[in-house]
Order: sequence, then structure tokens, then C-alpha cells
Amino acid sequence: MAISLLKRSKTSGKKKQKSPASARQWAISLTIVAIAIWAFFTYLFDKTPDAVQAWFQVWLPPSTLNESLVWVICALGLNIVVGYAGLLDLGFVAFWAFGGYAAGWFMSGFFHQVNIHFGSMSANTIPGIHLSFWLVMVIAALIAGFFGIIIGAPTLRLKSDYLALVTLGFGEIIPQVFTNGENIGGFNLSNGTKGISPIDAIGVFGKRLGPFDLGWKFLIYFFLAACMVFVSLRIRGGRLGRAWLAIREDELAASMMGVPLMRTKLTAYAVGAFSGGIGGAVYATHVNGIFAERFNFSISIILLAMVVLGGMGNVWGVIVGALLMAWINATGLPAVGDTFNNTFHTQINFPSYNFLLFGGILVLMMLFKRDGLLPEARLKMISHENDDDTSNTGGH
Amino acid sequence: MTKLNRFVSVVAAAGLAATALVAGTITSADAATKTLVISSDLPLQGSAFDSNDSTNKAIELYLKSINYTAGKYKVSFKKYDDATAAAGSWDAAKCAANAQAHVANKAEVAVMGTYNSGCAKIIVPVLNQDPKGPMLMVSDANTNPGLTKAWNPGEPDVYYPNGVRNYARVCTTDDNQGSAAAQFAKSIGISKVYVLNDTQTYGQGVAQAFTTEAKKIGLTVLSSGATGEGWDAKQSDYTALFTKIKALNPDMVYVGGIFDNNGGQLVKDKVAVLGDNTKVKFMGPDGFTGYPDLNKMPEAQGMYLSFAGLSTDLLLANDPKGAGATFVKSYKKAYGKDPVGSYPLYGVAAVQIILAAIAKSDGTRKGVNNAVFSGSGISIPAKQSVLGKELKISTLSGDTLAKDITIEVIKNNDETTLKAWTVK
Repeated sequence: MAISLLKRSKTSGKKKQKSPASARQWAISLTIVAIAIWAFFTYLFDKTPDAVQAWFQVWLPPSTLNESLVWVICALGLNIVVGYAGLLDLGFVAFWAFGGYAAGWFMSGFFHQVNIHFGSMSANTIPGIHLSFWLVMVIAALIAGFFGIIIGAPTLRLKSDYLALVTLGFGEIIPQVFTNGENIGGFNLSNGTKGISPIDAIGVFGKRLGPFDLGWKFLIYFFLAACMVFVSLRIRGGRLGRAWLAIREDELAASMMGVPLMRTKLTAYAVGAFSGGIGGAVYATHVNGIFAERFNFSISIILLAMVVLGGMGNVWGVIVGALLMAWINATGLPAVGDTFNNTFHTQINFPSYNFLLFGGILVLMMLFKRDGLLPEARLKMISHENDDDTSNTGGH
Repeated sequence: MTKLNRFVSVVAAAGLAATALVAGTITSADAATKTLVISSDLPLQGSAFDSNDSTNKAIELYLKSINYTAGKYKVSFKKYDDATAAAGSWDAAKCAANAQAHVANKAEVAVMGTYNSGCAKIIVPVLNQDPKGPMLMVSDANTNPGLTKAWNPGEPDVYYPNGVRNYARVCTTDDNQGSAAAQFAKSIGISKVYVLNDTQTYGQGVAQAFTTEAKKIGLTVLSSGATGEGWDAKQSDYTALFTKIKALNPDMVYVGGIFDNNGGQLVKDKVAVLGDNTKVKFMGPDGFTGYPDLNKMPEAQGMYLSFAGLSTDLLLANDPKGAGATFVKSYKKAYGKDPVGSYPLYGVAAVQIILAAIAKSDGTRKGVNNAVFSGSGISIPAKQSVLGKELKISTLSGDTLAKDITIEVIKNNDETTLKAWTVK
């Protein structure tokens, strides 16, 4: 992956600047790990002893890996809005919902009134709209991106807190629309709380991916996540990305330097939403259905926590943050809890302490490592601008 | 190489070492006798925790009482949680992950669950496509009709891609509950009803069934639409809604929905505008049962409720020496309190179906499923059934053949059983 270097003056000689080589190493390493995981789960897993399989089912089930990638894709989108452009978005779940419902609409028998098939692996006789997975990815991304612009529009003249409130409202409204969208003037938009299921199987090179082809799905989800990484890094290095960073650091100064605030902010929302749309559609194919109940406020918060914990603005940090938190939520806490309870014969309900743990981690991070696990070099420099050399010792 | 690449190679090496270690220890485990695993898949976080935790405890107790045997097989029990703390209730992604885990756990032959119909819609198709299956799932609490019978377009076939059924349930469906409520209303002399729903799947389902049956048996339905009027759970006040209803002068208001959707305010405002529940009767489905908060409200006194099955009270009253009563007593003895709500007994009933299927089978997933859906199917005689009456599963749909509904009334700050109602 060729990465162009962000043009900036080298003010600090002490801090090592992120070079293209570093990004390339990350990309290569992650790709190797992903291919190894794919090969393991596709070809080796069934042949390993039962105890090994059981261990993986407890600590790292393949479905958790796939789910984590959904979070990664969405977190990368949010990173563009929050991490790059510095616009606090508390309603990102709305874009996830749009992407999910796009898959629900165009990859299932939901619209049973019509019978449209294009590139799908499902039988032609089944009514509904059945489009190819790849086409649906594009449609989902475009729908979400379009709504990203719509949400962006009223926020143009808003700053900080007010902006966050508008996004919060948006994030509350959209899931409500889907929850109550069973009868909009006689039209069933979302099937209400019943949700849409099942979703068509993914077809790739003429192969239909059934519910147990998790390794292949992992590879596809990884590919989509990699595309988002590529897009993030390329845009960041370019004119638009530099404009976002300028707005993030000082909106007034940026506009005085000729950065068109309106257009730049709108694009941040649109690109972020684009990624959210892809994440949503991937999510729908992962769980094989889409249900309105899932899209609550806590999703937006968890995504935000992933970006903040991982390191705002640094795609690698965000990926690490998303993988870590998704794993804790889906597998880590219940598995640790079960192990603990079995060892000490207790009955503690560990997963119910999820938010306590997240809250605690966030507080600790803010105290000792407020730039995130893998801070963006540039943000780190800014946040320590005023630290003098003697006090700059704690936790960095 | 760089630090990062070194890190990757260290992780890879550690992984290999761990694999080798675990591989070394398994030979001893293989020597043990083969035990079939049955599991439960229930939400164990959030508001549904108490009831489902009680279900798991009841199942454990029951398995212990029969010495963990089913025919010639030994069984063991494994609990799955389909909720996450982040969602605070069942989580679609967790359901999808559990579905994979059920199939991946080689010793597992059948699943008891789920609690939520939405979760069942995700898990059933995966179990259905299990290459060694299909794998049987028996639910204690899914009341959504579409899982087993034609309801929405494409249902229920979309959940069975293999063309073979693998899902059964021991509770009745929403449509039966709504019908029973309408028939009961007629029997107490109601002629004009107004129907409300909470705009959710479940609430609309029962409201629709109530409306359809009420019209069929000659009641006047004052509300318009197939599911009645929706109430918005986020509103702080329903005075306007009930003032509008008062002008139509109904004998009864039927609320299809769950108490959690601001049911408390709804009940208060109903009484404030329409008077207490002896004047204009008030009735709700099992979404309003099992809430001590509701039972203690002065406005709720006299409210009728229905439950999709026989309530634990009724089971005990019907047959104080039967299997059900004995079981409830032993539960109280073991855990110091009664099971929460009426679903725990249904959970045990579902396990009874699974155990009977295992006993009749060759011990494979496919065999266990076939035992339920082919030949004479599975029935539990009244003597053994914890539900106090014969439990028979249809080999075609997987539904229980019993259409029992319990009518309850809130009296003296408690839910009291009025009578059993068999849907006509």
C-alpha cells in the first residue's frame, strides 16, 4: 500500500514521525495475520484436536473475529469524523442501521411484491430483491453517505456541543424510524421490531458462502476493512485530509487560510457514513438478519470509546481499539467470567460489569494515556505542547 | 526486521506452542464415556435475567432428579447467554455467535431456547443447515407465530433452508392468546372493546389476534385498523388518548404489549379517565404478567391478564400431587423460593421433550431431530409432564397441540388465577 507522506513541518526532533514505511509494515503485518487466520479456520481448524477447537470456541470463536471486523469498519468511519475532522458524532449508529437495512432490502425476500435477481446466489424463483453482495455494499455505502450529507447539512453552522447534540438526535431518530417503519402510509419499510431475516448468502467467484464458511467471510470482511484503511490513509495524506486536520485543530484559523468549512465538514460526514454503511451491510450478512432493537445509543458510545481508546486519528490505533473492545464485549468478559466462576465456585455475573469496566478503562486512559493506545503522532504533539520537559514523565 | 514484525512472529510462535500444549492433554479426555450435551440459550443480562436464571436453575434441578440420563444416554447441561451487557438484552450478533457455537460443540445434540423470537429467527436457520444435523431446538417462550406457521410472506419456510423442520415449542403462540382474550371478554358480557398496542412485534401480534377474533364472535371493535391504535411508549401522559376513547363509550380496553413500554402510566391514565377496572374492564396479555410493580398499583386492581400456557398456580391447583407440583416444591426446597414467573416450568417441559427425543434416537443430532419430526413424534404423558397434562408436539409444525391460556386477574396486589381457557 503506497502511502503518501503527510506534508508538515518537522517541529519536534524528539518524537519519531510516522513514515510511510511504518504504515506499510502495519499493512503487511495485518495482512499476514489475516491470511493466517483465514487459512487456519478454513483448512486446519476441523483437523485440530477437539480440545483445541473447544479452546477456540471459548476464547476466540471465529464468529467473534468476524463481528470484530464489523466494529473495525464502523470505527474507521467514525475515526474520519471524530479523529480526522474533530467533529464529535454521537449518532454514528444511524449509518450502521442504514447499511444494515440496505442489505435487508436488497438481499432478502423482504420486498416479496417484486422478483428482482442480479448476481445473487439465491434461486430465481424466490421473490424479493436479491442483488449481488458487492453491489449491495456499494448501495449501502451510497445510501449511508447520502444521509451523512443530510445530517451534515444542518450542522454546518454549529460548533462542538451543539454539533454533538444534532448528531445525537439523528442517531436517535433513525433507529426509531426503523422501529416504527412497519406501516408508513401502508408501506412496510422495515418490518418494525420483527426485523428482516434471513439475508441472502454471500456469493464470491460462484461460491455460495453458507453459515459455516466463516473463514471465507472473514477474508471478505477483512478485505472491506482493508479498503477502508486504504481510503482513510490516502485521503488523510491528501488535500482533503489536511483540510480536516486543520479544522480539527483550529476551525477559525482553517477558514481564514481558505479551507471551505462547509464542503470539508460535509465530506467528512459523507466519507464516515460511507464506511458506516459498509459496516452495517457487513453486519447484516454476519448475523443473517437485521433487527431495529439493536441500534441503540450504546452502540454509538462504544464506537466512540473504540476510537478514543485506540488513538483518535490513527487508523492502526483505532483498529486495535475496536478489535480489543469488540472481543471484550462478545467473548472476553463472558469467558473470563466463566473461568473465574468455575475456578472459585462463585456466581458473579461478569458481563453485567461491562460498562463499569469500560468506564474504568476510559478514566484510567484519560489519566495516564489520554492520546489512546497508539496515539497519532500529530495529536500527541499538540496535547503535550504545554508540557515542559520536567513534568513530561507520567505514562508516555 | 522491525519491532512490529518481531511481535507478530512471537505471537505466532506462542500460538503454535499453545496449540501443541493443548493437543498433548486431550488424549485423556477422549477416554471418558461419551456424554450428550443439551444446552439452553437464554438472555442472562438485563430485565429478563431473573426469569431465565430461574429457568436454568429449574432445568439443572430436573436433570439432577432424573440422574442425568435419557434412555441409554448420559446427558450434561451447558448454558449459553444470548444477551450482551452492551445491548442490555438479547443481541443479534451474540445469537449468531451462539448458533455457531452450538454447531461447533460436537457433543451437543439439542438446544433449549430461545426466549426471544427474534433470536430464534437467527439461530434456527443455522442449526437447520448443520451438516451433521439438522439440530433440534425447542423453545419455552417464543410466541411469534411466524416461526412455525404461515404468517408473514415466506414464513415459516425461510427459517428452514434444508426443507426439514428442526424447531419446536412448548408454549402457545400470540394468535391463540389474543383469541382466548376475546372469547373470555365475550363470556363476561363485554360488547364494545377498544384495542391498543405498543407498536412492537409482540404487542401488535396479540392485538391483531384479539381484534380478528373479537369481530368474528360478534363484539364491536371501536378502534380502527387490524391491530388497534398504537400507544407511544415515550409519551409522558395518555389522558388525551383515553379522553378520546371515553367518547366512544367502550365496555373494555384491551392493551396488546408489554408493561415495560410505559405500561404503568397507561394503567394510571386509563383509571383516571375511564374510571376503575370494574366499570370499564381492562385486559392485557402475558407481556403484563410477572411484574410485582404493576400488581401493587392501586389502579391495576381488577385488571385481567392472560398467559400463553398454564400458570404455575393453576398447575398446582389442578393437580396438587402431580409431577408439576412436586417439581415446584422441590425447586422451593433447593433454592429457597418459587421459580420466577411461569416460564421456568415451560423450560423444564422443553427439556422433557428433548430428553424424550434423545431416548428415542441413536444419539446423533439428526436422530434426535427425527425423533420429534417423524413417525409418532414425541409426547409426554400427563403423569410425567411438569405441565400437568399431556404434552404433544405436532410432527408437522413443531407446535404444541395444547392451546391452553390462563386468565388471571390482579387482586389484593397480586396476580391471581381466574380460570384456564382452551382456545375454541
